[in-house]
Amino acid sequence: MYAFTNNEGDFSFTNFRKFWMQPEAMNTFIYSVGIALITTFLCLVLGYPAAYILSRMESRSSKILVLLFILPMWINFLIRTLATVALFDFLSIPLGQGALLFGMVYNFLPFMIYPIYNILQKTDKSLIEAAQDLGANPRQVFIKTILPLSAPGIYSGIMMVFMPVISTFAIAELLTINNIKLFGSTLQENIYNGMWNYGAALSLVMLLLIGITSLLNTGGNAKATEEGGLI
Amino acid sequence: MQRFNLHTILRTALFVLVLASTGLFFNSCKESKESRSKILKIYNWADYIDEDLLTEFPVWYKEQTGEDIKIVYQIFDMTEVMYTKIALGEEDFDLVCPTQAIIERMMYNHLLIPFDRNFGSTPNYLSNISPFIRERLDAFSKESMKAEDYVVPYMWGTSGVLYNTKLVSAEEVSSWNCLWNPKNKGKVLMKDSYWDAYNVASIFAYANDIASGKRSVYSVANDHTPEDIALVEEYLKRLKTNVAGWEADFGKEMMTKGEIWLSYAWSGDAVWAIEEAASVDVSLDYIVPDEGSNIWFDGWVIPKYAGNVKAASYFLNYLCQSEVALRNMDISGYSSAVATPEILDEQLDSTLTETVNLSYFFGPGNDSLQVNPIQYPDSSIVARCAIFNDFLDKNDTVLEMWSRAKGDSLNQGMAIMIFAFFFLLAVYLIYKRVLRYQSKKRRLGKKK
Amino acid sequence: MMKKILSRSYLGLLLVMLYAPILIIIIFSFTEAKVLGNWTGFSFKLYTSLFQGGVHHSLVNALWNTLIIGLIAATFSTILGTMAAIGIHNLKPGARKAVQLANNIPILNPDIITAISLFLLFVTLGISQGYTTVILAHISFCTPYVVLSVLPRLRQMNDNLYEAALDLGATPFQALRKVLFPELKPGMLSGFILAFTLSIDDFVVTLFTIGNEGLETLSTYIYADARKGGLTPELRPLSAIIFITVLVLLFVINQRAAKKKL
Repeated sequence: MYAFTNNEGDFSFTNFRKFWMQPEAMNTFIYSVGIALITTFLCLVLGYPAAYILSRMESRSSKILVLLFILPMWINFLIRTLATVALFDFLSIPLGQGALLFGMVYNFLPFMIYPIYNILQKTDKSLIEAAQDLGANPRQVFIKTILPLSAPGIYSGIMMVFMPVISTFAIAELLTINNIKLFGSTLQENIYNGMWNYGAALSLVMLLLIGITSLLNTGGNAKATEEGGLI
Repeated sequence: MQRFNLHTILRTALFVLVLASTGLFFNSCKESKESRSKILKIYNWADYIDEDLLTEFPVWYKEQTGEDIKIVYQIFDMTEVMYTKIALGEEDFDLVCPTQAIIERMMYNHLLIPFDRNFGSTPNYLSNISPFIRERLDAFSKESMKAEDYVVPYMWGTSGVLYNTKLVSAEEVSSWNCLWNPKNKGKVLMKDSYWDAYNVASIFAYANDIASGKRSVYSVANDHTPEDIALVEEYLKRLKTNVAGWEADFGKEMMTKGEIWLSYAWSGDAVWAIEEAASVDVSLDYIVPDEGSNIWFDGWVIPKYAGNVKAASYFLNYLCQSEVALRNMDISGYSSAVATPEILDEQLDSTLTETVNLSYFFGPGNDSLQVNPIQYPDSSIVARCAIFNDFLDKNDTVLEMWSRAKGDSLNQGMAIMIFAFFFLLAVYLIYKRVLRYQSKKRRLGKKK
Repeated sequence: MMKKILSRSYLGLLLVMLYAPILIIIIFSFTEAKVLGNWTGFSFKLYTSLFQGGVHHSLVNALWNTLIIGLIAATFSTILGTMAAIGIHNLKPGARKAVQLANNIPILNPDIITAISLFLLFVTLGISQGYTTVILAHISFCTPYVVLSVLPRLRQMNDNLYEAALDLGATPFQALRKVLFPELKPGMLSGFILAFTLSIDDFVVTLFTIGNEGLETLSTYIYADARKGGLTPELRPLSAIIFITVLVLLFVINQRAAKKKL
């Protein structure tokens, strides 16, 4: 509601116009999207194999291992991030974009592994065996059977990583000493400094983005699950 | 058999949890029924008050007024959160301790109410506050509101440069230029606060005008004319290229590790950092540059929605006693606004070689005292400091300028990558649509 | 064989990366330095001062609150989330898409927006803030995650199982308990763990819903301290203790499970 009123309380699109006209806000947004994409990609690339391996192991040890992956999350976020800073210090790696990406992946990797692992666990192994029996080589088995079947998990994982990365600003603050600003910071700054109208407008923009991506994905995904059944 | 046990355990655990939560719920209901006049809600920064006082005050209060009181103490970490909670959420805190700029903003927005000076038979300690601070406080009086009625100053200090004595010379840091000096590139930290940054940049930008007397430090920092703002923006952009980053809380820590050579700091923080650095053999010192800086202070105010003004006022009185102020100074590391001889005695340190002139604070005759100059700056330093006001209605403009100055990190590579990604995504989705359409056609075709 | 070694070491590598910072926390919990990264000699002082917090601003108190809130919130969101997932699963595709979208919004929303909207909501409704509001707030942002954990399981489950149970004479409730829940249990468990993790780590939402009665959770305590005097050094032994405890717990569970198999 705040979004649509400017400081005088009149109904107006001024706030949105401000967003378009302020190149830094726009750029910060686009940059955050970029970081989110890279992070999601990295999490996917690193996380999928991990989830796959975990699902292949016997259920007892795999459960423990999965919990081990979640465990770091129980140490408070701030101290974890500070420890990462100390780690980089120790290894003499300068802070910056690389550190930022590491920090992001570090924080969100478990969120990617978890859903994919769940899905893979539940996958009917006989389907895979059937594919193998029908003469498919391992690569085909993977691409045409396992991958589509795990699609809902991948989708969940992406959801739990992509958007939160755009809005997480604390990591960027600490791991790049505020040199790199993510969209979440912009939002936070505006709201905290009393420019609630502008802040609200910004968050509506995010909501819009969420809406668009979700619509696209759910539309595509539902079909994928249906077709995934067909070999 | 074992499965059943686990099941029952889980079920009982669930049952207990539900019971516990309903119990808690009723408990919180019960608390609100207690009379509000027996509760004092205090909202403060972390580690900014001696917490033992919170248990001793109710005793004192009972002695003075014969009434019972219970203190509820809540911590906030960011002023903005506090402000939002009070302004938007109408939270009924009785006492809050913001910095003077925010106090000004709150007064301007009519969010404060005056405290009650009627203390019955209790002596009035409020006059213990140094006239020096009280004078500066008066600058905030607006329209019919006298600041003195609304605020009781708590701690005060200066802003300056914290530097590593082995890596940077004292002479160098005697000017704000040290922050802009390319020699220190990547080894400088500035606070991520547009208020501090604006004022420092402005003072440095107009250093010549100030030195020649054309403009005062006060006017440079508080006029906020469009030309001022534009010039500050230029300077901030240059500063950005020189700093390692904009720190919010961890600057002093990085200094104790020796990674950063100098940073903008507040006097109280500097004291902490110097001590901590000494324990790891890093030698730090603090200085207020010659061009000028600010005196800041924070104070206790009573927000508009407070529920217990009487107890709050008594608490303010209580805080102004010498012993209480001393204890708070100890815990927080800052300098109290209370200026009594007892406090002065405690601060005297005969091991110090230099003396400072503190007549402005403790009264005439106190012009060569052996006191920690960081906590109690010499009068020459104070002469070149001014109070920095809040931006008030220029707030939005300055914020915009700030985000322009800090810029963004978007570079070519990133932009290209993002475009490429979305382009491919669009292509892929369209491709799938086409396939689906074709297969539908095929299926319909087959059915026939 | 080679594949097994490769895959094990890959996992190992990831785990090392995840735990490196934690190792640092643990190592530095044995020194008195206020700043993480400075070493001033071996000392147990932080461990002793950990348990001597003040009455009003106590770390142990905050920890206790965090755990309770986390457990309660996680339990309720698991229940709520599972019910929601089942409901969503049985909707027609059109409505399903819409509800899923609504479900995903809290996840995708920046936490500060959720925080402020919840704050304003509670203010408007006049609910006095404190334990209840924090728990409610946590439930509302944890539930979507539970839904996300349970829903894929539902999708993969054979729908006919439920109907088969009904056909064989079970009451809907029995079918629910004996057929549906065992299938969903892993999903519910992972949802619970996820919700708990999110709850204990959450900062912004808690910050805005704790009201003014002095409630503190671990996150708000830590952040408040960080602003004033740098990160509380006592945090390091606290984190170390939590970590070791859970690790030991996991080990014990592992052993018990091993015994069961025998």
